[in-house]
Order: sequence, then structure tokens, then C-alpha cells
Amino acid sequence: MSAPRLELVRGRALLGLKGPRAQAWLAALGVAVPQVPNTWRAGANSWSIVRLGAAEFFLDTDAADEALATLRAQLRAGPPGVYPVPREDWELRLAGARADEMLAEIAAIDFAALDTDAKPIIMTLMAGIAVVVAPYETAGERTYRIWCDPTFGPALNEILGTLVRAYDECAAP
Amino acid sequence: MYRLDGRRGEWIDRSAILRFTFEGREYRGYAGDTISSALAAAGVAYLGRSFKYHRPRGIASFANHDSNAFFQVDGVPNVRGDVTPLAAGMTITAVNTFGGLARDKARILDRFGRLLPVGFYYKAFHTKALFPFWERMFRKLTGLGEVDLRAPRGETAKRFGFCDVLVIGAGASGLAAALAAARAGAKVTLADEWPRLGGGAVLGADGDAAAASVDAVLAQARITVLTRTVAVGYYADHWVALAEAARLTKMRARAVVFATGAIEQPAVFRNNDLPGVMQASGALRLANCYGVAPGRRVVIVAANLEAYAACIALLARGIAVAAVIDLRAGGEVEALSGQCARQGVQIVHAHAPYEAIRGPDGAVCALSFAPFDLSGRLDLSAVRRIDCDAVLSSVGWASASQLLSQAGGRLEFRDEIQAFVPARLPPGVFAAGRANGVYEFAARCDDGRNAGAAAAAHAGCGSARREPPAPPERRPSHPFPIIDHPSGKNFVDFDEDLQVEDLVNAAQEGFDSSELMKRYSTVGMGPSQGKHSNMHALRVLARARGMRVDDLGLTTARPMYHPVPLKLLAGRNFHVERRTPLDTLHAAHGAVWMSAGAWRRPEYYAVAGEGRAESIAREVETVRNRVGVIDLGTLGKIEVHGPQAAEFLDRAYAGTYSNLRAGTSRYALMLDESGVIVDDGVIARLGSERFYFTTTTSGSAIVFRELSRLNSLWGFDCGLVNLTGHRAAFNIAGPSSREVLGALTDLDLGESGFPHLGARVGTVGGHEAIVLRSGFVGELAFEVHLPATCAGAAWRAAHEAGKSHGLRPFGVEAQRALRLEKGHFIIGQDTDGLTDPFEADAGWAVNMEKPFFVGQRSLKILRARGPRQLLVGIEVDACGEMPKESHLIIDGGGIAGRVTSIAHSRTLGKIIGLAMVAPPLATPGRMLSIRLTGGGLAAARVVPKPFYDPPNLRQTGRCP
Repeated sequence: MSAPRLELVRGRALLGLKGPRAQAWLAALGVAVPQVPNTWRAGANSWSIVRLGAAEFFLDTDAADEALATLRAQLRAGPPGVYPVPREDWELRLAGARADEMLAEIAAIDFAALDTDAKPIIMTLMAGIAVVVAPYETAGERTYRIWCDPTFGPALNEILGTLVRAYDECAAP
Repeated sequence: MYRLDGRRGEWIDRSAILRFTFEGREYRGYAGDTISSALAAAGVAYLGRSFKYHRPRGIASFANHDSNAFFQVDGVPNVRGDVTPLAAGMTITAVNTFGGLARDKARILDRFGRLLPVGFYYKAFHTKALFPFWERMFRKLTGLGEVDLRAPRGETAKRFGFCDVLVIGAGASGLAAALAAARAGAKVTLADEWPRLGGGAVLGADGDAAAASVDAVLAQARITVLTRTVAVGYYADHWVALAEAARLTKMRARAVVFATGAIEQPAVFRNNDLPGVMQASGALRLANCYGVAPGRRVVIVAANLEAYAACIALLARGIAVAAVIDLRAGGEVEALSGQCARQGVQIVHAHAPYEAIRGPDGAVCALSFAPFDLSGRLDLSAVRRIDCDAVLSSVGWASASQLLSQAGGRLEFRDEIQAFVPARLPPGVFAAGRANGVYEFAARCDDGRNAGAAAAAHAGCGSARREPPAPPERRPSHPFPIIDHPSGKNFVDFDEDLQVEDLVNAAQEGFDSSELMKRYSTVGMGPSQGKHSNMHALRVLARARGMRVDDLGLTTARPMYHPVPLKLLAGRNFHVERRTPLDTLHAAHGAVWMSAGAWRRPEYYAVAGEGRAESIAREVETVRNRVGVIDLGTLGKIEVHGPQAAEFLDRAYAGTYSNLRAGTSRYALMLDESGVIVDDGVIARLGSERFYFTTTTSGSAIVFRELSRLNSLWGFDCGLVNLTGHRAAFNIAGPSSREVLGALTDLDLGESGFPHLGARVGTVGGHEAIVLRSGFVGELAFEVHLPATCAGAAWRAAHEAGKSHGLRPFGVEAQRALRLEKGHFIIGQDTDGLTDPFEADAGWAVNMEKPFFVGQRSLKILRARGPRQLLVGIEVDACGEMPKESHLIIDGGGIAGRVTSIAHSRTLGKIIGLAMVAPPLATPGRMLSIRLTGGGLAAARVVPKPFYDPPNLRQTGRCP
């Protein structure tokens, strides 16, 4: 079995917000959030809308997305009960048949047992680094989107890269 | 010992020959051999030397339940030869020898055994002048194996594992448990320390049934099998550490079945440690799995059915068994003993071994034995001798219950089987088979099936209930297979070279509980952790005290169950380091890095031709006279929004922030409930319902968590946002800082437009930023906070704008020196876990008149009581040695304080510092004595703070 594939994702933008009226504010602007805490949904314009717990959200899309820029400007106006959460996260994507096995080395979550149809969001530690993880499947292959604080980004990228190389060496004939 | 002809099912591949060396001589073995089995096949009787007496030792348990077979292999110490596979080209030596195994210089210690009784080291080394001599000697003599610092570093993996039911042990009961749990729908992991499943059952009369179970397990998709895997520790909530040769699995199960079996116990008689004397189960495994005969003429010391089964099995392999010496008067059932007798084996009842006799080659050459009565006495008038080259003992078992104890199981001693078995187990913990006191094959299978089904039910699969096992049909263990001898050398603990008299003496000296005896005698403290010795030690102690074994109880079992190489615990050794958003830009300036907690920060910036001290001094001088810039990306950065944001901060911090005007900032002190300083920072008000504030580098996560907790408790209408990693920050400090920043922003930076402690939102370098007019170094300074991805451009722009002003970056060490000149304290360095604001000379940052803030009640008490110590400024006489941080202040012959910060200030031309001193010494002008490392004293004087620019003109812009 081949080694997992790792990609450092660039060119994405995140818009984070939280607060008692955050969900209502987004709904009023036509952005429907997941109903269940700690899940995500695919929105319009190729957005991923992530719900962290009860009242915190972030939207992920291409950095050039003008609709997100518009939303960001409206958030800056300070709607009551809606608090901006500036996010400069690094995003890493890990894909492949052995991705679960690799993640088992650094996270105490049984990723293999997750039902991706439910679009879960996992907040956990990987090698001691706080991460937000969104697993999904495409054509039967599992991919993990992994977001982390940018000051931990280089460390997490190095750790995952080290593991991918180790798995690559094991897979070499 | 010698190699037998091949047989079906053996674990070696005779077509693959492996060459290796042992003690400088070349040998051959087969793929599949362990180191011990390969040496045994080659007729090598001696494997090592014992710990204390350096007696020659050979195979004993052949199960890693003793430390006889420890080797140094290719630079790796303490390799366990009984279980480590042989590899081609191995270079193997014995451990614990001086001059090699055969000519070990320390073997003379065996003759001085009488001078080295139990606990002798507590009584012998009282002459202090000789301590260095004894220390050198013991450092040389003690320890097993040598750490080779040239050995290549081997990284191993660690991983988390998850299952519904973890079954530990793949003998008859473990296989049954795993199958039952899997058939109930559970996801099962089955772990066993051996390379193949089935345990001892596959080697015996029930081998076919056991083999069928093995096949069923391997075919069951819900069972993951891990062989050569030892469960080394049980931790809370069914978390079990599983150790393989190159991987550690941290297995989280919903239920655990301990089918860990039982450990065969040696018979104890004089010279029971000679090469050639071993446990019968080990000999059987040697013969059937590795094709090695334990000897050419074997005698078996027996007290159970297993002894006769072993006899029959050895005879079937063509190995001559001269006699079975049975401790029991009734012997064994006729079906088994008769079968042995008909093949020429002499069966002797009610006799016990008296002494293993050493041959000219040092191994056993004969066994003397004598009549043995019910009270355990030997009739020495009737001692007989039988020639042999191997003595196998099969006198009993001890449940492998250590992991069960770690899991919180309560054990009780059962007379009928002479073993400790579970009396009560916590929810989700199950025992099966011999670990549960069940010895017959069919009963073990039933017990395992029931345990596995019950475990699956506990994990949510099925609904079976745990039933008690069938009552035992026989006694598998002799109650006291321990024979005394006037000349001793009847070993109870092979690892620690402990004889029967050592334990009796320990009891007589008052160390007469199992825990005390263990610590005084070290029984059970060797590498095998009492696997072959704890039960016998209890028996000896019980007899010495006239008590029952169950009245004494076992010692506490703790992880690790087996020795675990540290590399398994270290794993891949990931080192997580946080880096600020400006990290990649510092190298171009010559940054020399340091670790600051979890962060990587520039300690200083090196310049060619300059040493460290010079570079730091130059950075300080640059800030004082021109302009410097420091990366402050490590600071905690938090925002609080909402209608009750101000009220929240008033309660969480010691100062008042509800009266801050938008566009201003204030120093903030955070206290805990006992009034102790835990963090500080600057709180800026950016709007009526928006505050932005900083924390210390090390405090950011803790402060955010605490503030979140407080907000959950108080339920205020406000929200907290942690921006620490998502914001970069840098501080431009020095007389020219206004000009440098002015080139990057359109904010009004003038004194009236942006006064000291102001806070503005604007653009810097084209990017939205928060600018605070504050700093830590006592100069005009502006702190810029902006999004992480924009920071690099702004930093580069600042350097470009600063060129004409002589701008240089400065690092952590320069900042520490600069802040010391201003008398600013660093939390955790100049304060400790008990320092309140009054002691730290920071009472001005506390508003006691607020209705409430965290720590207020305690401060009222502390203020009334008065300080125990005070933080003061000191100047030190420049002549002589400079004191260091933590050097003590001495007054009246006693300790009166300590130095907390100290440095030579080139700005001021003197040595300055901060110190915590007893209040009577805190008066300016008071002289202090500081004790230096060598014992001398340095003179210091208490002076007012700050040392530099006392009226604070430079930072507040009032400097003419």
C-alpha cells in the first residue's frame, strides 16, 4: 500500500466568527450553518461552513472569493452579538489509504471509525498541537483537512512530512 | 543440550542458517531460533553471570521470566535472549562480566557470599572518608550491560489503538475469549508475547484442539492479532500499553480480558541455579518449538500433572528421562505415571531434591534427593544421588496477575490451587484461564468463552453475563517446594541472587511484611520483577512468621510489567516548536536562536567579529540612542467583545478598565484567588464594547482558558477571542521610533495625537493594524499588532524606513537588560508562586475599591498582615565576582532573601539587579551581603527603582 500524500494548502481564506447572534446573522445573509455542533457543510460558492461547538463558525473558501470579502467587511461593522475571530490557520491535507494508520501515531482519535457522511469536525491534538480536522471521502479515498494555529504550522507540517516519508520508506519495494 | 531432529510445527527454519558470535566464538543457528535456543542447540550451557555472586547461569525459564539470558548484542545492552530472534551476523556477549564470561574476575565474589548477606550495604559503608572509593567500586560493579554511545539511534513508532475488547494472552482461554467476543460482534485485538498463538496448549495433549482454535482466530475478520507483543502496563479507563520490538501501541479498549496465564515457579534447593537446571515448561518449549534437547539424561522434580506430561513429551522426542522425583506422597494419576514408568522412568514419591551437584564443567552433573515428609523435612540419613545433565522442575505456578492488580483487581489466595486469583474486578475487566485459577484445558476454554462474551456485552455487543469458573479438579502447585540446606545457595530470586536464608534473616531483622521484605532484600526488584520469586518469597516469609500466605498479601504491582526499552517510550521524538509569523525573516539578520518555553526566539543577532556579550550590549545601546525593533509575536493576544466586556475585565484583573476611554491602554495585573500574581499585560480599549489585550508569552493559553472558565461561571454578555497565533507583533523602540513608524503609517504619532499609553487602529505598511504606544524597555516605543500573513511585509518596510536612523533588530537578551534598567519585573523570575502585588511593588496596579475582582479578598488579608518579602532594586559593588540570579542574601547568619535578576548595565556603568528581601532590609541605602557560589560574600546596596530615567521622561515623551 502506498504512503499517504501530504499537501500544504495555500490560497485559501478563512472567515471566523462567534457569538450569541452569529448563527442568526449568517442566516440573515443567506449563509446556512450546520445544525449539529462540530460538523461542516458545503455551502454555495464552494464554501465550507464549519461549526465549532455551539456558537463559533468559520467559512473557508478561495482567497480571491469576493463574496467572502464582502462578508468580512460587514462583520467589521460590528453587528451586535457577533464577534470576529481572525483566523490565519495553516491548512494541511492528508490523503490515502494509510492516512488513518499514520494519524493513529499522533492523535488519540479513532479516525478510521468516523462516518464521513455525517461530515464530522474533530477538535483534537496531533503530536500535542491543537487541530481542527474535517475528514471526507472522494471516490472511496479518505482525505483529512487539518487546520492549525499558524505558529504551529511549520512544526505540524514537519511532523506529518516526517511520517509520510517514513511510510514511504516502508512502502518502497 | 543438543539439536534434535526436525518435527512438524517447529518454529525454526532449518534451511536458513544464521551465523553469529558469542563471546568471540562463532556459532550457527536457524532462522526462527532465539538467541538462547541457538546457544543451547550449540551446547553452550553458560549464558551469563549472576548479579551479585557472579555465578555461572544458563537457561532457567526460557520465557523471559528471569534475567539469566541477558546479552549485549551489537552495542545494545540487556537484550533478552529467551525471546529475541536470532539474526545473521549478531555479535553477542554476556553482561555483568569483567574479562569475559569464562574468566570473569568477579567470580571470586561467590566465595565471599557469607560476607555479603542480605542488606549488607546498609551496614557496611559508614566511613565517610571511604565513600569515594565505595562509590567508584559500586559504579563499576553494578548494573547490567553497557550503554554504547556510538550505537546508532533507532527510532521506533508509537501509535494509538482502539478496540471493543482487548484480550491479553493467546493461550487456550485467550483464544476462546477472542472468538467469543468477535462472534458477539465486538472488534477484538488479541495480543500475545510469543511469536505464535496457542501458548502451551499447542504443545501438549490438547494440541489439536488448540490448533483448531488458532485457525479459527486467524480466520475471524473481527480479530486483529498482535504477536511478539507484551502488555506492559494497565492505566485508567482500560488504556493498555502494548510493546513490540519496534512499536508501542497505546490501546484504548472498552473491555479487557486478562488471559495472561500463569508463570512456572522453580523448585528451591541448593544449587538450583546451576546451568542445566530449568523449569519444565521452558524445556518443553525448547524441545518442541526450537528442536533443542535440554539434556541427554534428564531428571524431573515434580509436584503436578504437568511434570508427567512433560516427561511423556520428552520421551516422545527421544530424550532420556532418568527419573521423576515427586514431592507428593500420592504421586500422580496412574494413567500418566504408569505411562512414564513403562518407558523406563524411575518414579520416586515423597522425595525432594537436596542438592544439584556441580560437574567439572560447572554445569549440573547429578542430583541428590531424600525422603520428604508432610511437614517439609528431609530425611538426610537416606540421601540418594542420580546422575543427570539436566534437572527440570515442575512444582507449581503463580498466576500472572500483575496487570490485573494494576487494573484495580482485588486478589485473594486460594489454598486449593495455591495461587492468588481475582476476587473482585472493576467493571470492564475480566480474567480467564490460569490467571483466573482455572487449569484444565476444557475448563480454560469454557472460562475464556464466557469471559469474552461478557467483555463483549460490556462493550455493547451482546448480553452475556460473567459466570464463575468451574471448581478446580486438582492442585497444580505444591504449597512449599522450598528445601533448606545448611550450606545455602538455594536461590529464591535468581535476578538478585537471594537465597532462602536471606529472606529468613530479613524477617528476623524486622522487615517482616511483604513490602518491607521486598525493599530490604530487593526480592522481586530485578528485571523479572518477581515473576519467578515473589510467590516463594511470600511462602518463606509466611513460614518464618507462622502466618498464612494470604495474611501477608502481595506487593503492589506497578507498570512496567516487563522491561521496556526507553526508545519505545520516546517514539519518533517529535519536538514541537512554535514560531512567530516573522520567524523566517530573522535569519537574514544573523539571529542566534534560543528556546523560550515552546517558542523559538532570537536570543540576539550576531555580527561578524563580535562575541555574544558585545552583540547584546550593542543592541541595548542602539535602543537607548537610536531605534531598535523586536519581534513580540509570542505575546498572548486576546480580544473581548460585548456589552459586558468592561465589567468582565474589571472582575478578572486587579485594575479598573471600565473607565478606560476608547483609544487608551493600561497595565494589567492578573491574580489568582489567593492574591498571587499569575500574569500581566496591557489592556487597550478600542471601542465601547471592544478590548484588545496582551498576556505574557508563557501565559497565553493558561490565561485564555482561565478567562473562558470565569466567563462560563459569571455568564456575562461578552465573548473572548484568542488571537495569539493569528497576530504578529513587533515593537519599535528608541528615540527615533516615531520617525520610523511615521514612514509606514498615516496615524498621527505626535504627543498630542498619540500620547503615552494610547491605542489606535490604523494601517501600517498598507495593512490594518492595532498600534499601542507602550513598551517594556523604557524608551519611546510603538507596538504594532497585525495579521500574521501581513507581518513580513510590514517588518521589512520598518527595516527599510529605519535604515537612515540606524535601526537594528534586538533580541530577548537585550530586552531583558533594557527592562532591568527600568526595574520592570518578569513574572516567574522576579516573582514566585507566593508573590502578591504588594510584595512586588505593584500595588499601584490594584484597585482595592472595586466591588469585586479575583484575589481581592485574599489581598485584604495580605495587606493587613504585611509583606513577608519585598522586591527591591540593588546595586552591586563592581569589584570582584558578580553575583548570579538565585544567589542568597545573608543577614545575621540566616537567609534573608535572594537575587532574582542581575546584570552589568553598560548604559549606567554599574551592576544592577532586583532582589526579594525581608522587609527590614528593604530600605534604600541599606547594605546587603550576597553569598556567591564559592562561599564568599559580595556587597550590594538597596537603591530606588527604576535605575534608568527615574522620572520616566523618555518613554512618556517628556524628554527635552
